[in-house]
Amino acid sequence: MRRPELLTAALIVLVSVIVGVINPDFYQLSTVFDLLRSCTVVGLLALGVLIVLTAGGIDVSFTAIAAFTMYLITKVTLQVWPDAPFALILLVAVASGALLGSFNGLLVYKLKAPSLIVTIGTQYLIRGALLIFVGTAFLMDIPPSMDDFGKMTLLRHVTVSGATTALPATFLTLLVMAGVTGWLLNRTLMGRAIYAIGGSLSIAERLGYNLRAVQVFVFAYAGLLAGIAGIVHVSSNRLANPFDLVGTELDVIAAVILGGARITGGTGSVTGTLLGVVLVTLINNVLILAGIPSTWQKLIIGSLILIGGAGLALKRTLSLQRTTIV
Amino acid sequence: MTPRIFLRALGIHKRFAGVNALRGVSVTIREGEIYHLLGENGSGKSTLIKVLSGAQLHDEGELIINGRSYERLNPLQALAAGIETVYQDLSLIPNLSVAENIGLTEQLVAHEGRLTRGFNRKRLTQTARRALAAVGLRHDPHFLGMPVEQLPIATRQLIAIARAIATQARMVIMDEPTTALTQHEVKRLIEVVKGLQRQGVAVLFVSHKLDECYAMGGEVIIVRDGQKVGEGPITRYTKAELSHLMTGKHLDGVRYRVTSSRNEVILQCDALGRDEAFDSVTFLLSQGEILGITGLLDSGRNELAMALAGILPATRGSLYLGDREIKLRSPGDAIAHGIGYVPEDRLTEGLFLEQSIRINIVSAVLDRLRGRLGLLDAKPGTTLASQTAESLQISTTDIERPVQSLSGGNQQRVLIGRWLAIKPRVLILHGPTVGVDVGSKDTIYRIIQRLTEEGVAVILISDDLPELLQNCDRILLMKKGKLSDELHCEGLSEADLYHALLSESSSFGFN
Repeated sequence: MRRPELLTAALIVLVSVIVGVINPDFYQLSTVFDLLRSCTVVGLLALGVLIVLTAGGIDVSFTAIAAFTMYLITKVTLQVWPDAPFALILLVAVASGALLGSFNGLLVYKLKAPSLIVTIGTQYLIRGALLIFVGTAFLMDIPPSMDDFGKMTLLRHVTVSGATTALPATFLTLLVMAGVTGWLLNRTLMGRAIYAIGGSLSIAERLGYNLRAVQVFVFAYAGLLAGIAGIVHVSSNRLANPFDLVGTELDVIAAVILGGARITGGTGSVTGTLLGVVLVTLINNVLILAGIPSTWQKLIIGSLILIGGAGLALKRTLSLQRTTIV
Repeated sequence: MTPRIFLRALGIHKRFAGVNALRGVSVTIREGEIYHLLGENGSGKSTLIKVLSGAQLHDEGELIINGRSYERLNPLQALAAGIETVYQDLSLIPNLSVAENIGLTEQLVAHEGRLTRGFNRKRLTQTARRALAAVGLRHDPHFLGMPVEQLPIATRQLIAIARAIATQARMVIMDEPTTALTQHEVKRLIEVVKGLQRQGVAVLFVSHKLDECYAMGGEVIIVRDGQKVGEGPITRYTKAELSHLMTGKHLDGVRYRVTSSRNEVILQCDALGRDEAFDSVTFLLSQGEILGITGLLDSGRNELAMALAGILPATRGSLYLGDREIKLRSPGDAIAHGIGYVPEDRLTEGLFLEQSIRINIVSAVLDRLRGRLGLLDAKPGTTLASQTAESLQISTTDIERPVQSLSGGNQQRVLIGRWLAIKPRVLILHGPTVGVDVGSKDTIYRIIQRLTEEGVAVILISDDLPELLQNCDRILLMKKGKLSDELHCEGLSEADLYHALLSESSSFGFN
């Protein structure tokens, strides 16, 4: 299929229409705000997964990186400099996330090992280190600058009933990083190299693409985004829980796949990924509005992946058969 | 006036794990000249082009490109110096667009491989358009944006050459570029090459097809056992002399087929057809017979072969094996009826390259090697694989070695070995010697003849006219999805066959 994003968009419309018919309360601005707020962390993580998948790898350690950086940084900030400016906190998170991620990338390159194995290993390592050496207790008080960031709003809306709903500023981080990721993939040589290596690793290497640079970069970039996601997560929940996020890897990967990226690499777009995130978040959050028990979420997401994935694979097989036999 | 020297390799040595792949080879490449690098598989010619293109570092010797000496040449330096290599797999990235495949290398080289630079889409499009125009391909935006995996092989070949033009190559190395092309496409390729030559670009061909080398003219460089054994203008050598230099033994157009004992009919095709691909194909095949099928690339012969192998099942007509009607809906059905199929493209369709010789040979008969409790018994498999390797003269000491460590000819024998393991009644060989050197061809032909003595019926689908004449009893010609002619090989000349292949109408009134 030329534009798999269209299928994702159509599914979003379909789900919205169904839920809206069952529960007309669905159609209001607060739903949109809720949806976008819930999308932010998943979206940041998904952009990282997109880059790694496009380069032909897979990463399952990003949630552990997010949890590690968010908890460690919150804890250290509280002890060392509680009034640290938010920009500094974010910068440290970006740096430590990227550092942990580049460790993944170096391992994948040096060991020539499947990235799934490597990142399963590092996920356990990072999570283990977090719980053993850093701590297991919830941090209920977070640094004031993070708290402020979490409370900042972009848009505010007062409903007829008098309740206020707001779009938090945290959503901006997703918009900015989506823009950066899109620019990176489409406007830089690194972006082309990522697609090239995802298409055929051995050919790309033979053509002079620097495999090491690309592999380290994609995992570092996924780590960087995980670092940002972690800080955003803490800021909007006003709580640092070391047990958060880990376990949601498959939801994030599912969103990227539903956005049209192939697990075998070489395809995928930022638009598609964002749509995939919206779709998964929509299903996770609004089914309840339609009176469908939340236990049905997994069933529905699973079916969509099977239908979407099988459909795309079939289409591809057919089009390849046509060309090879000519 | 002799043209300027572009590249000089002096006394190049290359060893792999104790094996001497190159032993002091020296070559001189001049601007605007065409060179043919000839040699058997395993002679060291692949290693030589990898050294020249920077894909492998040489151990000893000197490489001087454009007056500059390189101790360690990497792929990017080779590209920057103007050496572009079109490998057999074309080195195109399947998911990238036509424009990107052509134009990205240029920008990568310009930035010395640093990926932190922006890429210039406008320049990419301009470069791609210019290069596509030079090889005579279309260059509209739709085509520029198509992923190359959706294009036919001949088009991809030209795109790979367009990339060489885009990087303003001074020397283009082409590894068996004509293997997958029809004669018409080969002509177009030759035109493009002549165009390059006029612009002062040196072209180095690696090919097994001596006729094409003569058609193109230029210089030959012959290697054997890692050493250069001859060089000079191709006109100075006869075909037999070239074969002799390459193999070290004399081989001429001997006919391998001697006995053509007519036995009972084993396979009967009755008005077989599939969609638009082929229609009303009717023929009989006897035990111990070798039936050749040939035709141009779009004649439907490939589809017919795949239908007989159960890969793309026929949708019309019927098929009889012995006196029973059979239906082939999958490759498994064909195997169960004792129909083996050796595909043309052994690298992608046939072999598990990373697996051992043993596993490749036994992979079609796993259910027969099942021991008690349905578990796989390793011993009979090992015995079977050793016997097969021995009888097919696969040159290796260890059947546990991965197939990719073997030369092309040996790989092909492993693939044939797999189908012999099913004890086939009918064996379909599709281009059995594509990309195989002269010496290995000889072995493969002898194996085919031996099989027929054991009663196996062979269908040989090939483009290689001498191959068909040397091996077959009869040849069926296909045109536009239908059988157009049936020729008996005894006493048939290559010219007759070629004429029949190209003639528009059926001259023998067959069908």
